[in-house]
Amino acid sequence: MTAPSLSRNLWGRRFDSPLILAGGTAGFGRELALLDCWDRVAALVSKSVTLKPREGNPPPRIQETEYGLLNSIGLANPGVNSVVQQEINGSVNIPCPLIVSVAGEEEEEFHRVVEVLEGSPMPWAYEINVSCPNVASGGLPFGSEPSAVERISRAVARVSSRPFAVKLTPNAGDMVETALAAQEGGASGLTVCNTFLGMKMDWRTGSTLIPRKVAGYSSPALLPLVVARVWQVSRTVSIPVLASGGVARGEDVLELLAAGAEMVQVGIRLMRRPRAASELFREAEELLQ
Amino acid sequence: MNRILPDDFIAETASVRRIRPGIVCMTFSAPGFRSLPGQFLEIEVSPGPFPVTRRPFTVNRLLPEGFEILFDLRGRGTELLSSLSPGSPVRVLGPLGNGWRLGPGKWLLVGGGMGCAGFSFLAGELEEPPTVLMGASTADRLLPFDDGDLRVITEDGSSGPRGRVTDLLPGIEPGDYRVVAVCGPVPMMRGVWLSLPPGHRRRVQVSAESRMGCGWGVCGGCAVPAAGGGYVKCCSDGPVFAGDELDWDRWTV
Ligand SMILES: Cc1cc2nc3c(=O)[nH]c(=O)nc-3n(C[C@H](O)[C@H](O)[C@H](O)COP(=O)(O)OP(=O)(O)OC[C@H]3O[C@@H](n4cnc5c(N)ncnc54)[C@H](O)[C@@H]3O)c2cc1C
Ligand SMILES: Cc1cc2nc3c(=O)[nH]c(=O)nc-3n(C[C@H](O)[C@H](O)[C@H](O)COP(=O)(O)O)c2cc1C
Ligand code: FES
Repeated sequence: MTAPSLSRNLWGRRFDSPLILAGGTAGFGRELALLDCWDRVAALVSKSVTLKPREGNPPPRIQETEYGLLNSIGLANPGVNSVVQQEINGSVNIPCPLIVSVAGEEEEEFHRVVEVLEGSPMPWAYEINVSCPNVASGGLPFGSEPSAVERISRAVARVSSRPFAVKLTPNAGDMVETALAAQEGGASGLTVCNTFLGMKMDWRTGSTLIPRKVAGYSSPALLPLVVARVWQVSRTVSIPVLASGGVARGEDVLELLAAGAEMVQVGIRLMRRPRAASELFREAEELLQ
Repeated sequence: MNRILPDDFIAETASVRRIRPGIVCMTFSAPGFRSLPGQFLEIEVSPGPFPVTRRPFTVNRLLPEGFEILFDLRGRGTELLSSLSPGSPVRVLGPLGNGWRLGPGKWLLVGGGMGCAGFSFLAGELEEPPTVLMGASTADRLLPFDDGDLRVITEDGSSGPRGRVTDLLPGIEPGDYRVVAVCGPVPMMRGVWLSLPPGHRRRVQVSAESRMGCGWGVCGGCAVPAAGGGYVKCCSDGPVFAGDELDWDRWTV
């Protein structure tokens, strides 16, 4: 086998970099514009959008642990109508394709949000987030049940004129089975995967800092778990896999591509390094030479 | 107010001094660095993968070719930072946030503990020397300030009267001040807010604090309860807010 190339192809479009900014860690692009951090950013996934406004979870929403980060944002967003007006149509022109992340509290919400987004010329694609661990429903009833994922994918495919990836949960069920269900329902790709359910407890008091107690956990130490899932899913399905989770070095990007990912997303590394895409690309490029 | 655009840059550690037990003053060389009082920096405390986030610190002072921060040794991040030696490169993102809303007239600065970091920088940008009310647990924990009318109070009475900074407010006529600027732990800031007569509360600016994921507005992690419902982002909407922008009943952390 030869080493992976950094030039990629996704849904008929060529990219000179595999790096996509992950949902919920790049806002809608406004802040990146301020810092001018677009070098080697192939695409940006927005924070997840729901039908109605959601104020999100009570603070603290962030807790750092020894080897990673817990987040309990709770899909805070002003609702799809306001997002379309203020963030998507009215905001800065981002110099890369925009993938709008879509979330819902019930099965019917996903395609309704997509219907509204179809009214805007800006999105290039969608990411259907059936896997957020930070809402009351846990994302789990949808995300871990292949039949629900298939129904949601089918409903989205019916109303969407654009390609869409389904973002899978690592927290329950068999990811390969869920991936096949999404493909069956008409998904154009799969994002593997979302944050892992985590919790930090004070052993003295038994209490947690984060009010909702369980949260989404990200860490570069989780990379092998993501590599395994990307490998399992990509060898089974025929649609492209977008890897998400654990990327902190150029080497991690190459490893995920070798495991079968078409594109690689970067989340908490971007929060720490606004120019993460540029830095990771350079590191990967040097390794390939 | 014209914002200074932030950048992710490498500064060089110039000096590390323990100015009080548990309090460290660090200076960094960063030619051309500018910021407004009340803005902050996100500093990478280790070049390795962990900790995964940076640490936020207020700009305590600008130097001719760099800046100074003043911090409390609290945990892993601040310990790592304080163990750097002069010459070490450090990655810094900033300046971030909005800063104090500067304006004319006499200011009253009310600070508790490390909340007083940056007060000298702020005082230097004001037209008149401010009155400063400074509280700390003990005399050892009072921060240096030399630019105005300083009144101190400590919880153990080791400097000034025994008590909390809110106990100094009865000696103050709020109407004498154009702005009341408050920074410190949330319960202390709430105490100041509640003890001001409602008619004077519109003068209040507070510098909020929150756990941060990114510090530059992308993650939504630094939510502070907003008046009228919902949340504002401490890092990019703030950290300085007018007192009446916040919901003081819901703000508990
Ligand atoms: C805008 C802003 C400005 C600040 N300016 C100063 C300053 O000038 N001087 C100073 O001493 N401190 C300041 N702080 C607090 C300082 O950031 C924390 O004390 C520091 O992050 C602790 O890191 P640690 O790893 O040593 O502690 P740990 O307790 O090990 O940190 C664990 C995690 O909790 C976070 N955390 C812990 N305490 C706080 C806190 N009080 N506020 C926010 N996050 C916290 C850390 O960032 C880290 O992610 C500021 C905080 C904010 C939000
Ligand atoms: C603060 C924060 C907010 C997030 N918000 C979302 C979100 O709104 N939608 C989503 O699909 N994933 C969200 N995620 C998950 C990330 O997109 C990503 O899948 C995950 O963090 C793993 O990748 P990483 O290790 O590169 O961070 C969020 C993650 C973090 C840390
Ligand atoms: S800390 Fe990320 S948005 Fe404020």
